[in-house]
Amino acid sequence: MDGRAVVGAGGGLALIVSALIASAETKPAVDVQIFQFQPAAVEVKAGTAITWTNRDEIEHTVTSGDPEHRTGRFDLRLSSRGTSAKVEFREPGVYPYFCDRHPSMRGEIRVN
Amino acid sequence: MNKHILVWVGAISMMGLAGCTQSMAQAPAHDAMASHAAMTSGTKASQLRAGLNNLFSEHVYLAGAATNAALGGREAEFKSAAGALDANSVAISKAIGSVYGEGAEKAFLPLWRRHIGFVVDYTVGVASNDKGKQDKAVNDLVAYTQDFGAFLASANPNLPKSVVADLVKHHVVTLKDVIDAQASKDPARAYTALRAAAGHMQTIADPLAEAIVKQFPDKFSG
Repeated sequence: MDGRAVVGAGGGLALIVSALIASAETKPAVDVQIFQFQPAAVEVKAGTAITWTNRDEIEHTVTSGDPEHRTGRFDLRLSSRGTSAKVEFREPGVYPYFCDRHPSMRGEIRVN
Repeated sequence: MNKHILVWVGAISMMGLAGCTQSMAQAPAHDAMASHAAMTSGTKASQLRAGLNNLFSEHVYLAGAATNAALGGREAEFKSAAGALDANSVAISKAIGSVYGEGAEKAFLPLWRRHIGFVVDYTVGVASNDKGKQDKAVNDLVAYTQDFGAFLASANPNLPKSVVADLVKHHVVTLKDVIDAQASKDPARAYTALRAAAGHMQTIADPLAEAIVKQFPDKFSG
């Protein structure tokens, strides 16, 4: 299952989530494995889509912000091993995220 | 257990979850356990197995000491037991990290502490006769077994998630027996249950050690 979120639209960040056919645009990518986002920090240019793939046998989420301050920009479910989801980052900025089911799992996307 | 005690038990639980007691693990009193935690990938198979068994059985005895002190309303003793229990948690996570790396160590510790928090929740529920809190804690613990199973299954293909989850579920059940016996002020039953709970941990430590050796035969030969 693939999902996509598009982040960035002026000051407010629009969120569009839709099912997608697997795309050849698979990099840069983040593996969700052994309860970690690997790599935890990714730096990309604006307009880049990042794909997360769940390698664990449990549901994880890719949720923007941190547990104390959710930004609502994206919230993707990776329901089981092998599922993936994609977010396109259009606006420069720093986008922290975490797993809602396992809040100690943290990651960050830096968009230049 | 009066309300005051429930408050500090809850506070300690939150501290543990937040990792605030981690500094206690660095105290000299815990250096002996740190040596177990310092197992490197060069450790022999037998040492690995013995080390994991020691850490996991200690986990049960310290958890039992903490819940017994909490249920008995002995605040200072509870805090000390909780601190030692957290030091054990840190040592277990370091043992995991010695095999699977720092990232896995950092991921494991909050996951492990999480189940201790649920055990504290259950203890508070028992102490306050709050059936709803007890049931929620049990449900949280059962759900947690899936997380724990997934973690180890992801780290080691020789550890099926369902098998690990079942073993951890039995850990939860045996520890619950200890707490229930402690709450009913039946020390004979409590200590019998405590021995059973500690003994059960071998069924987790042994397969874990064997699976690690199987995964890294060159590092653990002998």
